[in-house]
Amino acid sequence: MKYPVIDMHVHPAFYETVCESEKQERFARDMYGLYKTGIFPEEVVFRQMECAGIDKAVLLPLDLTTVYQGVLGTNEQVKRLVGMYPDRFIGFASVDPHREDAEEVLREAFGRHRLSGLKLHPAKQRFYPMDDCMERIYSICEEYHKPIIFHSGMSAAPGALSKYAEPKLFEELAYLHPKLKFCLAHFGWPWIQETCMLMLKYPNVYADTALLYFDNAPEFYAQSFTVDMGRHWIDRSLRHQIMFGSDDPRLEMIRMKKAIEKLDMRQSTIELILGGNALEFLGMEE
Amino acid sequence: MVVHKKIEILTKEYNAFVKITEDVKHAVKESGICDGVAFVITAHTTTGIAVNEGLECLESDIQSMMERLVPEDGEYAHGRFLHSYGAMAGNPTGHLKAHLTGNHCVFPIIDGKVKSGSAQDIYLCEYDGPQNREIMVTIIGE
Repeated sequence: MKYPVIDMHVHPAFYETVCESEKQERFARDMYGLYKTGIFPEEVVFRQMECAGIDKAVLLPLDLTTVYQGVLGTNEQVKRLVGMYPDRFIGFASVDPHREDAEEVLREAFGRHRLSGLKLHPAKQRFYPMDDCMERIYSICEEYHKPIIFHSGMSAAPGALSKYAEPKLFEELAYLHPKLKFCLAHFGWPWIQETCMLMLKYPNVYADTALLYFDNAPEFYAQSFTVDMGRHWIDRSLRHQIMFGSDDPRLEMIRMKKAIEKLDMRQSTIELILGGNALEFLGMEE
Repeated sequence: MVVHKKIEILTKEYNAFVKITEDVKHAVKESGICDGVAFVITAHTTTGIAVNEGLECLESDIQSMMERLVPEDGEYAHGRFLHSYGAMAGNPTGHLKAHLTGNHCVFPIIDGKVKSGSAQDIYLCEYDGPQNREIMVTIIGE
């Protein structure tokens, strides 16, 4: 493998270091709708990463302060996790764009905590990508050269309305901020052709592979990447803009990674998806 | 008298056979029961409890048998979204292998010790790891 394998989509909300009380565990369950997931030590994640052959995981917290009065992992906790396990974790920040102190929180996350990017969830945080409150967020990301991972498409989380997260809503952002790299997580499913359209037109738009809503991972990837899309679209045209993401713990690292390895594409494309594109997206390429 | 003990294991592999014979013997010794039976029961539906000879070659053969019987790329109705979990059911093979293995084993306790054949080892069979696993040892006797 030419690149390290990087899982771009991991939620740390149930990690022992993050989920410090039963109340917080209940909040995480209710917010994600992961009703049977409980607190687990980071060691379990490392075992799963080893089994899957994943070198690094990008941790995505979520600030839900104004809508739900809670946080699924603070920026400080993510910074602590990265500090404890720098070889395993890459930390992203989160900020609720509706917070009055959103700019301050984000500048602290990038400036003091040195987090590697920003996670936003329009459906759960209840904003449209081109709402007035968003421009200040995008400007700070550009100023610090930090990428954004947006939840896009359907979310299984309760209260997360997909109307906020249709891929086409992000076109204006791609157009107005061509230097801002952003990823449409979950490939924008079910609107995956819209996501393809954006990636084709805008090289600053990426997508991740954290999509599995029917069947199993190999079957769903076959449906999504060879039936709903042309079977060569990724391998020929979008190979530099797709990144591996598991959506752990909702989906499982081991099975999602194995399904990527089985895709009928050039080996060099598989390697780009598993790590090469993430390095470029994160600004970590040598 | 009934004594309940618990064994906790963080498994290392997706599929693995983990010997727990010594853990069970330790639990029985700690219980103080001299004559009775010990039940070894897994708390999970994607693990099993089995008894077999503790040989690497047999572990490999059993693993191969399970893969033939329950292939990872088979078609399973369990591959669907589970609303009660809020997650995809990605582990049908784990459930089926656990079903074939069974959830427990039983041994007599004589003179305070587990009475087993010389070739017998007790295994926790992991079919959906790595995970934190809990095995209950219930010891009944006097």
